[in-house]
Amino acid sequence: MGSLLSSPMTWEHALAVFLWGVVLMLIVLGFVTYAIYFERKVIGWMQFRIGPNRVGPLGLLQSVADILKLLLKEDTIPRKADRMLFVLAPVLAFVPSFTVLAVIPYTQKLYFADLNVGLLYYVALSGISTLAIVLGGWASNNKYALLGGMRSAAQMISYEVPLVISVTGVVMLSGTLNLRGIVDSQSGGWFWDWNFIPQIVGFAVFVVAAVSELNRTPFDLPEAESELVAGYHVEYSGFRFAFFMLTEYVYVYAIAGLTTTLFLGGWHAPAPFLDFVPGIVWFALKFTFIVFFLFWLRATMPRIRVDQLMGLGWKVLLPLSLANVFITAACIELFQR
Amino acid sequence: MKGMLKGMGVTLKALTAPKVTTSYPDAPYLMPERYRGIQHFEPDLCIVCNQCARVCPTECITLTGKPNPDPDKKGKVIDTFDLNFEICILCDLCTEVCPTEAIVMTGNFELAAYSRDELYKDKDWLTNNDTRVRLDNNNIGAPQRGGKG
Repeated sequence: MGSLLSSPMTWEHALAVFLWGVVLMLIVLGFVTYAIYFERKVIGWMQFRIGPNRVGPLGLLQSVADILKLLLKEDTIPRKADRMLFVLAPVLAFVPSFTVLAVIPYTQKLYFADLNVGLLYYVALSGISTLAIVLGGWASNNKYALLGGMRSAAQMISYEVPLVISVTGVVMLSGTLNLRGIVDSQSGGWFWDWNFIPQIVGFAVFVVAAVSELNRTPFDLPEAESELVAGYHVEYSGFRFAFFMLTEYVYVYAIAGLTTTLFLGGWHAPAPFLDFVPGIVWFALKFTFIVFFLFWLRATMPRIRVDQLMGLGWKVLLPLSLANVFITAACIELFQR
Repeated sequence: MKGMLKGMGVTLKALTAPKVTTSYPDAPYLMPERYRGIQHFEPDLCIVCNQCARVCPTECITLTGKPNPDPDKKGKVIDTFDLNFEICILCDLCTEVCPTEAIVMTGNFELAAYSRDELYKDKDWLTNNDTRVRLDNNNIGAPQRGGKG
């Protein structure tokens, strides 16, 4: 891909780049389908029951059946809803989630874009989805959807701040915002060279803020299925609702990819003697562990109340991440000069 | 924090714990011993006293008798016995009043049908429904006598 990007943009090269994009889209769609399936299975097994097992062998076609159902449903738009914004909101939510996948590096040679400000690109684009959620809540002409949208916006902005600040420590250690550069700076051979140990506070803050950014339990108040009647996507049915769900799971993919890259050493093996295993396998294993951890967290924890949520974001995570930045700066100054 | 980690440990252990769900309808679901399921009828024990039809709260039992074909014996024998399962509420009162325990409940409960005609069960069907017959019938109609032991 690097050679493709640096060579002149002829029609053949443009087609090749486009086809690689299509391949990524198919992989992500396959991931979303089976992430939904595995989420239901894992949460079921953790709740003393088995998950879906009737549709297809071992229930593997359950997500396919669900998506087919959503596609065949009637597309309702409330009469007094703002039509254009209503239609725009799911699209606006999904597009950034897919575009941020461009900067995630999978191995030394397998990456899509080598942006020198890759991390900044990621954080900036993921903010656009917040806008789409408020838009969806407003355009639905439903006060519960609006409440859900506003709560969601408040949650996402207040956790975006500690998310970015916690990553600043990693950037300071690696000296670059380029995600491939950050992975290269973790290449010591052993797992204690990965960023999650020197930046343990940053890692903890990042994990909590990431779960909140994804609107997942325990921070899933915007979609609180039992409380706010599905929050901002209550008026959406059929394919538009599928788009919101797709956005959420593509963000799970993106955050898992980002965590692997920033804190868990990307494609590096945990020990030098395990080097013979290809990097993509290590990336996939770490990625899978993070996704499993998200499901595990969902099966364990109850939902946090909205005031506790805001208090946690501003009063605990923000000071911790700021302290992390100062301590990292002090350590760099004292130990690396 | 410690509570959270303990909670995560609990869910992780639950991953390998035995599951509590049953696989009905792939595996049969066995109801408890005294379950009041679909009735079973023994025509030889019936003395056509009509108590079951009288006590039935929804009047779903209709029966007719004929004089005993054996000229020496007195009394009637059962000729037709129909149970309308659209309205039978499986309340067990017919079993309670039957002096000979000719009608008893079983442990079967699967009655779903595609047509209402199939819910009108006759004597032969009820006689053949003899699996998982309930042994402990709360038979207050004939406390000393009991048709089957």
